[in-house]
Amino acid sequence: MDVTRRSHAKLLALDLLSLSTSRGCFYRGEMLVSRVETVGVVVSRSVKPGKLLFVVDDGTGCIPCVIWLNHETSPYYAKHSLPSVRVKAQLSRDFASLAQLGVVARVRGEVKGYKGSNEITVSDVVLETDPNAQLLHWVECVQLARNCYNKLSKNGV
Amino acid sequence: MDAIASGALVTLTELNQSSPYFKQGASLRVTGKLVDYNLVTAMAVIVDGAASIQVDTSLLTIHFRVGSLYQFIGELNIEPNGEGTLRARVGRIVDGLDMNLYQQSLQLLREHLPELTREGSS
Repeated sequence: MDVTRRSHAKLLALDLLSLSTSRGCFYRGEMLVSRVETVGVVVSRSVKPGKLLFVVDDGTGCIPCVIWLNHETSPYYAKHSLPSVRVKAQLSRDFASLAQLGVVARVRGEVKGYKGSNEITVSDVVLETDPNAQLLHWVECVQLARNCYNKLSKNGV
Repeated sequence: MDAIASGALVTLTELNQSSPYFKQGASLRVTGKLVDYNLVTAMAVIVDGAASIQVDTSLLTIHFRVGSLYQFIGELNIEPNGEGTLRARVGRIVDGLDMNLYQQSLQLLREHLPELTREGSS
């Protein structure tokens, strides 16, 4: 079953930062986790050459996030068509401009490891203006963990 | 990036001198209604029920409106007289936040977090 590989797992920061790794893959128990989603306050923001680093605090932990902004110079994208690279680059810049200090953002992306810590390589950012969005995320994370992820973690997916 | 401490979720009614959260330098996330704001000192007072806390907002650039609900994340500074002041590093207006739901969600979260440790993510 490939459900966990293709969907964004809604995880609390405490859970996400505790994911184990094996052969480059991330696991919550026996459950493979590839893509994740978090909602929290942007508490730190740092612009570096070719990327934006920011941290999302959801109340249970702080998740480092990175938005790559080097599409037009990266050798990885050299083999892609220029118009599609430009679209991707513009999207990344737009997401980076949303992630300002103090806002509540819904961040989705792939979980990666960097210097021994888990972080999110961001694929999209949405601003959450409803103050109850954070509460909803907490409740969803708890419900999913209890009713879905814990069961998948035991059965191995 | 240097590690940033997560703001522990705590209600103002819980944040008394005997609380385990009431420690010098503790990173907290607090929510309350703004009842007073001093432009000169940038000190705000927020309340939640009968409890209140002073918030040093000198690092913030948000707009303040008395009567609105605010949420701050910052570090607790305990004054010589035993009073706590939160030095906020981020803050936002949260008008529309359902405080009853907030407290219920907080309770649910607190019940769940030890489960995470027991289940073990590894």
